[in-house]
Amino acid sequence: MNKFKTLALVLFSSTALLVTSCSKDNETPEPQKPAILTVNTVSDLDGSAGAVYYSLSTNKQVTGDDITAGKWDIKFSGTSIFVNGGTSGSGTTQAQTVAGKFEEVNQAPADGYNTDASGVNAIVKWYQYTGEDIKPNHTILPLPGKIIIIKTSAGKYAKMEIKSYYKGNPVITEAFDANTPSKFYTFRFAYQADGSTNLQ
Amino acid sequence: MKYILFCLLIALTMNAKAQHADTLLTDTAKAKKLKEVVVTATRTNKTLMQVPMPVTTISNKEIKNRGLVRLNEILNEQTGLSVLPDAHGQGIQIQGFSPDYTMIMLDGLPLIGRTTGILDLSRITTNNIEKIEIVKGPVSSLYGSEAMAGVINIISATPAAGASGSVSARYGTNKNADISLNGAYATQRLSLSGFVNRYSSSGYTLVPESGSATVSPFYGYTLNGALGYKFSNRTQIKLQVRDYTSTADNNFLVDNDRITGDGTEKTLNASAGLTHRFSDKFTGDVRLYHAGYSTKSLLINNTDNSVYDETFFDQNFNRAELQGDYKIINSLRFTGGVGGQDESVKATRYNDKKTFQSGYTYGQADWTPLKKLDIILGGRFDAHSVYRSQFSPKLAASYQFSDKFVLLASTGKGYKAPDFRQLYLNFTNAIVGYSVFGYEEAATELKKLQDQGQIQSVLIDPATLQRLNAESSTAYNFGYRYKPFTGVMWTVNVFRNNIRDLIDSQPIAIKTNGQSVFSYFNIHDVYTQGVETDVTYNFLTHWTVAGGMQYLEAYDQSVLDQIKAGKVFGTDQVTRETIKVKKSQYGGLLNRSKYMANARIAYQDDKTGIITSVRAIYRGRYGFSDVDGNGIVNRDDEYVKGYVLFNASVSKLFLNNQLRLQLTGENIGNYKNPGAISNLAGRLIYAGVTYNFKQ
Repeated sequence: MNKFKTLALVLFSSTALLVTSCSKDNETPEPQKPAILTVNTVSDLDGSAGAVYYSLSTNKQVTGDDITAGKWDIKFSGTSIFVNGGTSGSGTTQAQTVAGKFEEVNQAPADGYNTDASGVNAIVKWYQYTGEDIKPNHTILPLPGKIIIIKTSAGKYAKMEIKSYYKGNPVITEAFDANTPSKFYTFRFAYQADGSTNLQ
Repeated sequence: MKYILFCLLIALTMNAKAQHADTLLTDTAKAKKLKEVVVTATRTNKTLMQVPMPVTTISNKEIKNRGLVRLNEILNEQTGLSVLPDAHGQGIQIQGFSPDYTMIMLDGLPLIGRTTGILDLSRITTNNIEKIEIVKGPVSSLYGSEAMAGVINIISATPAAGASGSVSARYGTNKNADISLNGAYATQRLSLSGFVNRYSSSGYTLVPESGSATVSPFYGYTLNGALGYKFSNRTQIKLQVRDYTSTADNNFLVDNDRITGDGTEKTLNASAGLTHRFSDKFTGDVRLYHAGYSTKSLLINNTDNSVYDETFFDQNFNRAELQGDYKIINSLRFTGGVGGQDESVKATRYNDKKTFQSGYTYGQADWTPLKKLDIILGGRFDAHSVYRSQFSPKLAASYQFSDKFVLLASTGKGYKAPDFRQLYLNFTNAIVGYSVFGYEEAATELKKLQDQGQIQSVLIDPATLQRLNAESSTAYNFGYRYKPFTGVMWTVNVFRNNIRDLIDSQPIAIKTNGQSVFSYFNIHDVYTQGVETDVTYNFLTHWTVAGGMQYLEAYDQSVLDQIKAGKVFGTDQVTRETIKVKKSQYGGLLNRSKYMANARIAYQDDKTGIITSVRAIYRGRYGFSDVDGNGIVNRDDEYVKGYVLFNASVSKLFLNNQLRLQLTGENIGNYKNPGAISNLAGRLIYAGVTYNFKQ
């Protein structure tokens, strides 16, 4: 019995020692692993009847009174993308484009943002128009490697990539019919709700 | 140039009779090939072996033997040349340059009529051609604008002495009919010749379900007349007129509406040249040239009889030129000239009548310091009323190691002036809604659209637009001609062209309808480089085996720089995810094959009068579309697959070589690629007959 008590005591004390030594190391908090942002894909946002408004924070199309209330972030109209700021809206949304792969754009730039000005949008040249010289003719193709960074009115950052201008996000071949119903926007974005520039 | 040639031909007592009639020329022709004279490279006579620039010649005999009746047909079979399919016409690509950069001449005078830069070669009949000379490398030092990739000169035949004439007809697939009537009369002083040619086809369609023809039915006439008169041994005059008219019967479907209407095209060339030999050393020429080109088209929508499209295009070109040729000493010869040009264009798509005036002067020294060494130094200065003046120098040298081997090297500058479209276009596509404005019109037209409230955003402020410069190039050509043993001729040419200021269209504004407004800019720096080789082997009197190959790289320098900086992306074909484009994936400029080759076997027997040949033409794959939207060719599905075409012909001569019966086949393998290649109609078989009248 005495031997067991001694053993137990040794075990307890060593554990106690271990625990206290561990807790000493645990005084500095562990670095938090950042939460990977959710990538939302919006398919066929219907802009065929006219301009269509979208909110990145709620991940929903914005209609009716909410538009006038300024509860939107971006607006698609034909081949143009407007932001809720400057001459296009009541908010203070800004945007710029960067080159890279969507998954590899991990940080929103600190500066270099523009808002919409009369006749010159913040988001320009997001697509390539093939015209008559190259097949498929008269086709709007989103520029690969063009990532749109948006700083919303609420000061939150998001990265966005346009996937298609045509209904159903069709596979493009040289025989693609440019008369395919267009102004159906397919795009994906990642929205950083915590207000930091981290876009991983 | 023809006029100086004529004088010298008489002096050398060459047999002018031989070139015209459609007959066999065997050993005499082969012997002549060795001492063959080329005029286009230097605007003077030079023997083929000595010319320090890469030159290809095609004889009348070769054209007739192959049974090819239009210029695009015969050029398509040459090493290093490729005829591109395009809605605006069959143009020729040389050393990786688009058709806009090659000047096509008839007897040394430029043919006009390029609505979008391409000169449609199917307009030109091969009837009555003595030979075709193709000079590669920039020759702007002699010919000015457009002679950037090279020049193609069609030399008309000289009539044989006495009265002669011929009638020939070819008929076959797609109801393609070509009929020519030739007549000539020549004495010691006078030579008179003329011909009429009719070319027609019922067209063809590669996609029958579309309800529209790929090529509409058409018919065309060429009328040609030439008069030459020798006042004396020293003075002669040459007059030539050519008229070409063609009408196409358009009929196609657009969204269930049938559109029909005629499109007509007319060209008129008239030239007068006077040559006077002042002394043994000095000859002078004066040349007057007028060329006119017009097109008209009226298309009606049959559903509601509304006008679908109505366009016209009228171009006029006038030139006066003086040239002197002075032989300072036996080894030094100087050629110089001065000229002035007046050009005008009026078209539906240009605001009003536009006119250009230009003047130029050129000089060339041809120096043979050693018997084996020939050096040519020349330059041309062009002053123009709209764009900046150009100076195009050229330096070329050939060293003849022996009768069998000659080394040649040349370097020079070429340029191409901005064309009417790039300067003056005012066009809005009614269906799609985009607009294109030439540089001179861009600011005013954009303002008009802005005042109409049609502009959504401006991408490039027209006030910052720079005046368009001519596109220019610096080229290096190096190679040799080698005759290792009798009957074999082997040529090699390595080339590099650095092209600056290539003009292309770019959007300057976005309209409220979402479409763009384009204008033209000098944007690109492009280079083409490669190597070309050609071998011909004549053996056993009757046989010829020949082949050639070209390797070409054509790249946009700024794209290469951007790829290097890691700024170019594409989309993966399978995963549809973004990828970074590597240099090895970049396909270079559109419509250029990296590999092109041709091979030929021909047999000719005077005794039996049988002439036959089989030719194969290989086009390696070429970039054609951009499906991932990055503006360049980088994915395998953006290429047109490579292919081989087989052409063959067999003819038999009768009645002492006066009658020829011929069977011609083009694309015998019936290769088609309806989505990408509109000028491959499938297998074409023709039967032809030619009869020569001889006094």
